[in-house]
Amino acid sequence: MPPILQVRNLVKRFGGVTAVNGVSLSLEAGKIYGLIGPNGSGKTTLFNCITGIEHRDSGAVAFKGRRIDGLKPHQVFHRGIGRTFQIIRVFPELTALENLLVVTSGDYARARARAEDLLRLVKLERLAGEFAGNLSYGQQKLVEFIRVLMTDPEMILLDEPAAGVNRTLLNELLDAVRALRDRGKTIFLVEHDMKVVMGLCETVFVLDHGEKLAEGPPGVIQADERVIEAYFGR
Amino acid sequence: MTRWTRWFLPGLAVLTLVLAVYPAWATGYGVRVMLQLFMWIALAQSWNLISGLTGYVSFGHVAFFGMGSYTTAILVGKGIPWPAAALAGGAMAVVLAFVIGWPCLRLKGPYFAIAMLGLNEVLRVAASYFEGLTGGGLGLSLPTLDASVRIYYAMGFVAIAVTALTYAIVTSRFGLRLMTIREDEVAAEAMGIDTFRYKIYAFLLSAAAPGVVGGLAARDMGYIEPVSVFPLVTTITMIVMVLFGGKGTIWGPVLGAVILFTFQELVWAHFPHAHQVLLGAIIVAVVLVMPRGILGVLQQKYNLPRTV
Repeated sequence: MPPILQVRNLVKRFGGVTAVNGVSLSLEAGKIYGLIGPNGSGKTTLFNCITGIEHRDSGAVAFKGRRIDGLKPHQVFHRGIGRTFQIIRVFPELTALENLLVVTSGDYARARARAEDLLRLVKLERLAGEFAGNLSYGQQKLVEFIRVLMTDPEMILLDEPAAGVNRTLLNELLDAVRALRDRGKTIFLVEHDMKVVMGLCETVFVLDHGEKLAEGPPGVIQADERVIEAYFGR
Repeated sequence: MTRWTRWFLPGLAVLTLVLAVYPAWATGYGVRVMLQLFMWIALAQSWNLISGLTGYVSFGHVAFFGMGSYTTAILVGKGIPWPAAALAGGAMAVVLAFVIGWPCLRLKGPYFAIAMLGLNEVLRVAASYFEGLTGGGLGLSLPTLDASVRIYYAMGFVAIAVTALTYAIVTSRFGLRLMTIREDEVAAEAMGIDTFRYKIYAFLLSAAAPGVVGGLAARDMGYIEPVSVFPLVTTITMIVMVLFGGKGTIWGPVLGAVILFTFQELVWAHFPHAHQVLLGAIIVAVVLVMPRGILGVLQQKYNLPRTV
């Protein structure tokens, strides 16, 4: 099966800092992938380059066999890649329901029905009319998560979905992610919580100083000495 | 909430009716005061469309007013009837907004604000420079005509039209998408919203009414010159009215315009020199005490829907 997302020799510099240095990745459809690495290793920058928020200096990104590097973020989204952010980016002065409605165009009644379904899914239906900015951190995180699902994208990038979410909520979130995978979606997530990464992902990529250090199933990655060294030092 | 809606619409209908028959018994002065109020409502409401909704603060919105004024004055001078000339003024303002918006709306908020400030200065200088067309610093006189009552109705119509447009926008997904730009432009882009296109739409819509009322005001004043139709203080007044009433709301700009215009008329009559000082004091007070404006505060306190 051809990969759904392919990153080839991606380079991104900020001034004198090379945030991503020649990274190549290949992701197959219908699987959950993890991206780990110490702080500043280039994980979020890599996500930003894939979703068009940053533009790569060289290299290529292809989604379903078509180049997407050079596209604007909204164009990448319409190709079928949705994402969440490390620091929550809900629209605070829009209600929870409105946060979802803005994502879709076309039939309003259908969009509303889908938004209400998704709010029920994460048990936020009673807060539909509340300004997103008034919700708790965990609730905002859920709104951001289901906002991505409004258009049913084929691939979802999650930047630290577990951070700041309590255990109960987290388990529900992880179940939701697995359910998406079972429906054929591809999930790519950045996460610092190793339990989450190792329990959820089928393949894990490790970044260090902008370069790909290792790639493999969780068990292999956990035992990889280079990975341990990158995290804890020698 | 239901009590609100029950009284609101009939109240609005009665008010509209009273204003519709007002010129029949009003003095000439009264009619001119009211037509200026309508003008301010249209201006504040228009500024709200771009700056209140998308958060892109336009510091040069009076440029569209001036564009409309000059277009209208020039066309009336060529014998075109003033209502058609004022509409042409609106059209020219929209064209100007497109020419300016195309490069400038790619800038981030603060840079856009500065660019708009510059635009207004450039237009004022241009109006002084191209004497053949604009009469330069001497200005343009329009043929004498007593049209106050007709201009009153025209201004009133524009004020109602922009408010209705705002209502339609704020209650639609189009309006919500404009607000996402104000809330978080990066997230809006990442959620598939073509923010540049939406900003252009909002900007064009926000330029039309200032162009038309600029034309109507030119006809009403009978004489225009660069300093009278491109004053920075007009933009600032629009901004203060919207901030005071509640930015991004439907009725906030109307409320702000009514209160501040009434206040201005009273203060103007008694303390002409205190006027600008007070305007400045109001800006400071609003920003410090209630950055959301009157309606913004009420909406949050009583959890009112956007339609109020």
